[in-house]
Amino acid sequence: MKLYITDGNPHCIKVLASLELNGVKCDIEAVSHEEKAVVHFSHPLFPVLLLPDGQHLFSPNSICQYLFDISGQKATDATNQWLEWEATNLQPAVLQSLHMVALQGKRVEAAAVMKEPLNWLEQSLSKKNTPFLAAEAVSVADVVLWAALYPLLSDSGFDAGELRSVRGWFERVGGLEACQTAAQRVLQGKGVEALKTFLQKQPATQTQRRDSPTN
Amino acid sequence: MALRELSSLEKFLGLKKPNKYSTQGGKKVPVLQNNNGPALIGLVTIASHLVREAKRPELLGDRAERRAVVQQWLEHRVTRLDNCSKEEVKVILKDLNQYLEDKVYLAGNVFTLADILMYYGIHHIVMELAVQEKERYLNITRWFDHIQHYPGVRHHLPPVAVLRNRVYPSGHH
Repeated sequence: MKLYITDGNPHCIKVLASLELNGVKCDIEAVSHEEKAVVHFSHPLFPVLLLPDGQHLFSPNSICQYLFDISGQKATDATNQWLEWEATNLQPAVLQSLHMVALQGKRVEAAAVMKEPLNWLEQSLSKKNTPFLAAEAVSVADVVLWAALYPLLSDSGFDAGELRSVRGWFERVGGLEACQTAAQRVLQGKGVEALKTFLQKQPATQTQRRDSPTN
Repeated sequence: MALRELSSLEKFLGLKKPNKYSTQGGKKVPVLQNNNGPALIGLVTIASHLVREAKRPELLGDRAERRAVVQQWLEHRVTRLDNCSKEEVKVILKDLNQYLEDKVYLAGNVFTLADILMYYGIHHIVMELAVQEKERYLNITRWFDHIQHYPGVRHHLPPVAVLRNRVYPSGHH
């Protein structure tokens, strides 16, 4: 099994954290942004996981789910729902927001973009009596959402608002060593600055929200 | 749209009691009110739930590698294919065509939920392709025709005539 990552790619945080958390043995190769030899798609996609059966996974969330699956944590309705929400609602907002923070210095506007998904997460978490999103213990849903939010919520200049439940949960997940190591490896302690090159290379369509968010 | 898909999926799975769905927000995300617990939100989440309810777990993949590939294409469906622009459609079709070059189904040689939901999601696009485009995206048309003829899948969707002078002549339904 082999994982291909690129420098300063926010999608690599969740994958590296899942790898470490599950103690999965895997070669990791850092490749340049331009390389596209791994999956024959029009836009180079990273991270990519080469599976033991020769197939490639190019969706970060599916890679994470796979790493939990082979470690005995199967997908449930709850984890599926969080992963789907992350991919369809949170991720477009995060990418647009990161674009504004890292490339345009528009932190206020960036926070406005995140308001709706963060409020949804706050509401959901405040109704729960479990410390994590889908269960008593950390699951793939926590790692995926935490990693998506990490570059923004760890930025001291980013004002996300009150969000008591989100903050508590964010610190619980971030307290895991696997998460710290993954964030450090991708961001190199430079925060969103480390993501600049990655964000500049994103096709415009992937950093713009296509339509209004739900809920 | 998504609700008709879910109802067709229920029929395909042979679920006896049709579920009641509602939608949420401007994107009309499907919601399933579940008697035994909290509501389920999202097409992929609900579809995967129905498959498990029907005791057809092999449609989600019989082993971890396949489960991951299935999930990846389900995600692709709701993140890339749905609501994509005209320019993006071309890229999506080109990539999918390339991907399907050496595969019968999205997850390789077995039919899964990924084929069903990608078929439902791409139907309106394939229906509008000109003959030359259908020839250009030959692997997609081959896969598409395969799925629309798979027993019990098509339901709410009209059949699409695929290619002239091919294994399936148009009007062969």
